[in-house]
Amino acid sequence: MITVKGLNHSFKIGKKGKEKHIPVLRDVNFDVNDGEIVSIVGKSGSGKSTLLHILAGFMAPESGEIKVNGIETSIFNETDNAEFRLNNYGFIFQNFQLMPGLNAFENVELPLKLKGIEKAERQEKVNTLMKYVGLTEVQDHYPNELSGGQQQRVSIARALITDPPIILADEPTGSLDSETEQEILLLIQSLNKNRGITFVIITHDDEVAQTANRVYTMHDGELKEGVVQHAI
Amino acid sequence: MQFKDQIDFVRQHISKNKLRVFMTVLAATMGTAFLIVLASVGFGIHDTITKEILSDRKVTEIQVYASEMSQEIADEFKKIDHVSAVVNRQEFNAQTETSFKNMKGNNGIIATDFIEEGKVGFKLAEGRLPENPNEVVVGSHFGQFLLTEEEANGEVEEGEEGFKGYEGNLVGEQFTVRLGDFNGDMFEKDELKLTIVGVAAPPARDWFTDQSIYTNASLIPTIEKIYKANTEVELDDHPDAMHLFYNNVMVYANNLENVKAITKTLKDQGHSVYSVTEELDQLDVFFFALKAGLIFVGTIAILISSIGIFNTMTMAVTERTREIGVMKAIGAKPQLIQRLFLMESAWIGILGTFLAIVISYGVSIIANFVLPIIVTAALGEEDLGGIQVKFSIIPWQLVVIASTISISVAMISGWRPARKATKIDVINALRTEL
Repeated sequence: MITVKGLNHSFKIGKKGKEKHIPVLRDVNFDVNDGEIVSIVGKSGSGKSTLLHILAGFMAPESGEIKVNGIETSIFNETDNAEFRLNNYGFIFQNFQLMPGLNAFENVELPLKLKGIEKAERQEKVNTLMKYVGLTEVQDHYPNELSGGQQQRVSIARALITDPPIILADEPTGSLDSETEQEILLLIQSLNKNRGITFVIITHDDEVAQTANRVYTMHDGELKEGVVQHAI
Repeated sequence: MQFKDQIDFVRQHISKNKLRVFMTVLAATMGTAFLIVLASVGFGIHDTITKEILSDRKVTEIQVYASEMSQEIADEFKKIDHVSAVVNRQEFNAQTETSFKNMKGNNGIIATDFIEEGKVGFKLAEGRLPENPNEVVVGSHFGQFLLTEEEANGEVEEGEEGFKGYEGNLVGEQFTVRLGDFNGDMFEKDELKLTIVGVAAPPARDWFTDQSIYTNASLIPTIEKIYKANTEVELDDHPDAMHLFYNNVMVYANNLENVKAITKTLKDQGHSVYSVTEELDQLDVFFFALKAGLIFVGTIAILISSIGIFNTMTMAVTERTREIGVMKAIGAKPQLIQRLFLMESAWIGILGTFLAIVISYGVSIIANFVLPIIVTAALGEEDLGGIQVKFSIIPWQLVVIASTISISVAMISGWRPARKATKIDVINALRTEL
């Protein structure tokens, strides 16, 4: 489903003309199969978030190739990337990244609005999903009126609402307590099992990494495949 | 994203910062209202002066001069599109002497077609228009300039009050006109016996006098016959030669808008013409320049208010950096982000313009009511010389111009912040704290 070959990237620091190039990704190669949960673990500054940002099209790699279902996304411009994200990816962020001015229902509805879907259809889809993730009772609440776990559920519902084949998760339980972390991990596993959604999870938490089918370890910009987990 | 959802999105954002948006709208309103009110003064004065000119003249009248004019040529003018009437007033060029009761006078004879005169409203002070060859209408000063024989011979000293003339009723009275030749020698026989059936209204200008005798054109053959019977001087057919009648042709358009087109047609046919539109054209050029100048000054006010819009939109983009980042991350295209911010600045412009139009009409109405009172009080007059002065007029064209300028300036002000929003880096935006 996702194939990454020879990915290299570095950050420029310092004044213009005297910049230093700090390599963050060094010849990264990996695959993600359809319906898998793949986690990428590593310490802070290892380059795992940069890898996710490049996968998502938030930035372009210096070199290398990314193919998603055979489509090379690394050559997309900003508009193409946005379109591709809307139709193929769902995102779960560590600090949820909900729109503060929209309530839970409207936050989940937002991607459908971006796709230009009619109101009646939107409402039906959001209602169904809110029920699935257990948010029906708080759907009128604004983000600041929700607990961390509820906010992350809203974030997951927003990621799921367009039925994307892939969800990219950046430290999905990083801001949650251990009990809520378990709830969210169970939800991710359930979505993978019942809906066949592919997950790429970036984490520094071994427990989160344990939920994956396969684990990659990132160290100083180099990616290595870790221990193969049992099917969940 | 559907258009109604975009509007909904913009509305939600505006409602979050009501006070700031209100102040920005207020600035836009004041700028636009200033433009409209300022320019409306130019429109008002233009309208007042134009109406003053138009009310004083026969505005649809086109005077035609031609060295070789005849009734046939005048009749041809009737075939021109939008011509409602063609009046050919044929003035008798030789000498005349009027005898009315025991008084005498020298009154010019003007032969005309009263059917055509009726179409353009020949104004009568009393009586009716002639229907028979010997019926006439006399000018409003006809009686005033009649002299008794003693007065005519200079045997009576002019008193303090001057000659009295004839002060009695004219309608229904008969009088005779003796014709003469070009040398001033009067014919001894063949007088014209005429009956007054109407008196013309006084000329619009107080210093003009009208002592003419308006006869029906059907009297012309009779006059020509008398002339030929009494003199051996043959009339020459050559255009430059002296004619017994001088043709004064006036073409009337069916409305003011068509005067210009008819004037052009007549000019194209080689005639010398004059119409009030020739003067109005020059006046229009002057007022066009004046109004353009006022609109330019007003536009500066709008430009000043645009700084407020620019500031508001820049703040909006800065405050919403993280939201923009989230939207871009989940799939919003840069074009959509730009459009949403442009719509917001356009909304400020549209609302400001709408309020400005309402306020401007209010100010205009109040100005037209209050200013004449203040000016007349200041001048110590009871009215402004009978002139209906409009200090401020807001035509729809001014509304369109002001709206276009105001909304365009608002959108241009929002353009740069909107572009800035599209360039927001998703990764940095997502790291922004709330």
